[in-house]
Amino acid sequence: MTATFENRLIDIILWSSLAAILIFFYIPIFTLIAFSFQEGRFLTLPFDGISLRWYGELFRNSNALDALWNSTIIAAATTIIATVIGTMAAIVAVRYRFRGLKAFQLLAGAPLAFPQLLLGIVLLLWFSVLGRAFNFNTGLITAIIGHIVYITPFATVIVAVQVHNFDATVEDAARDCGADSWQVYRYVTIPLLWPGIFSAAIFAFLLSWGNFYLTYSLAGSARTIPTFIFSGIAIGSSPLYPAIATVVFIPGILLVIVASRLRRA
Amino acid sequence: MSDAVTRNWSDPALLLKALPTVLLQTACFVAPLIMTFLLTFQRTKNFQLQWTWDLWTWSDIFSKPHYWTILGHTLFMGLACVALCLLIAFPVAYGLATRFKAIENEIKVLITFAFITDATLKIYGWVLFLDKNGAANFLLMEVGFPPDMVTFLYTDWATLLGLVYSLSAFAIFTIYLSISNIDRSLILAAYDAGAGKLRAHWEITLPLCKPGIWAGSILIFLLSVGAFLEPKVLGGGKSPMSAELIRQTFETRVNWPLGAALTLVLMVVSIFIVLLFTRMISIKRAGLAS
Repeated sequence: MTATFENRLIDIILWSSLAAILIFFYIPIFTLIAFSFQEGRFLTLPFDGISLRWYGELFRNSNALDALWNSTIIAAATTIIATVIGTMAAIVAVRYRFRGLKAFQLLAGAPLAFPQLLLGIVLLLWFSVLGRAFNFNTGLITAIIGHIVYITPFATVIVAVQVHNFDATVEDAARDCGADSWQVYRYVTIPLLWPGIFSAAIFAFLLSWGNFYLTYSLAGSARTIPTFIFSGIAIGSSPLYPAIATVVFIPGILLVIVASRLRRA
Repeated sequence: MSDAVTRNWSDPALLLKALPTVLLQTACFVAPLIMTFLLTFQRTKNFQLQWTWDLWTWSDIFSKPHYWTILGHTLFMGLACVALCLLIAFPVAYGLATRFKAIENEIKVLITFAFITDATLKIYGWVLFLDKNGAANFLLMEVGFPPDMVTFLYTDWATLLGLVYSLSAFAIFTIYLSISNIDRSLILAAYDAGAGKLRAHWEITLPLCKPGIWAGSILIFLLSVGAFLEPKVLGGGKSPMSAELIRQTFETRVNWPLGAALTLVLMVVSIFIVLLFTRMISIKRAGLAS
């Protein structure tokens, strides 16, 4: 076997496996997009016709709009809090040496490898017991807390990569020029870490927006898009769901592209 | 490179930044876990929790093979899912780290988006695709195949497909990271020493990307044993996995102590399996070194 032939063969194998996996990943996504333009009431092929009818129905359906609103509130609150806590934890975990660093890193990362359904159940038990003692019910707030517990470690990891590549001498330079520690953060540290922080925020938003398990356990009677769809498909298909999916996909892919641009910059 | 700074716990700069994480994960992760453990020593009566402090729930679990059959099925599905994920992730991760340079970022964007999009929607998309009257059968009929070729929706195979679909991106990213960190000169040295492509791959690349393979496997295994969306929606709920059993215990039977105990059993057994595998590997490695 000659070297060029070998090279060609490896190329063919690698490129075709890439093509195969991308097709695999996008089968359900394109299926949903295609079905969203179906005119008829039933989700079967061939289509009765092509139309935007179900997009119109979607914006007249108050349950779907409520779910969209709840998803947005939970994701926005989670993004802000998880990104702030995660950024601070990343600086601590990468830059500082202190007793208990290993324990801190473990504590900050543990929820990453914990199945979400089980995390949701454990938190539901916790909030139920606390709720009985302090008289509150599960709802949007408990769902937000659950999302923060699960998503903060993701934000920490993403910002930690940025902190790792951070040149600390510029902070010293700013300090030598007479900046106090708040000014160093405001004008040096945060701007330099900003690409990492911003892409952590985007991922936090997307993870929270698409989260099913934690919302399912913790949101009480409030519905978000994932739980709205889950409770719907348990009863039966509706042409509304592919339309919701397509509406949700567009901002999703845009945010992923922005995050990728930022990390390269 | 950032220099490490030595700090004391009394330093306000450290305290201010570390405290939110410590408080959050102690109050909403560690404390609930401890409480879950304590709940297993209670009982329920008429859907009400009774603080009895005995081993009734545990003796129930250890005397009923039913729970353990489901657990075995779950662990088996988890391991099968890990194996399949590694198999399909490796060539893509390898190509991404070495040969797809020109469109590396575009590929990453496509994979990230597919991975991070709403899981419920994607699983529902699979139902529409695999259904008896769905897109797959329609497309196959259009190109001349007989009707009803694709019939595995609502079986374990569909569950497995869903799990691999949802989790394989973890393996792609962890393996990709460890391959891109391999020092290229090591591989060139192997070529100089007369090794072929395959041999260099086998003796340099594979051993050096083991951390990525392990990290991916552990993440995928732990996350797959907790999945219930895939078995429920794609598997049709016919052969329940542990997560579904736990959900039913809480929701239908309203038996918190039993549900808490089943949750802990699932976690402990899967962490034990992870430790067993990592231990086996390190013993094997120690054996090779001596």
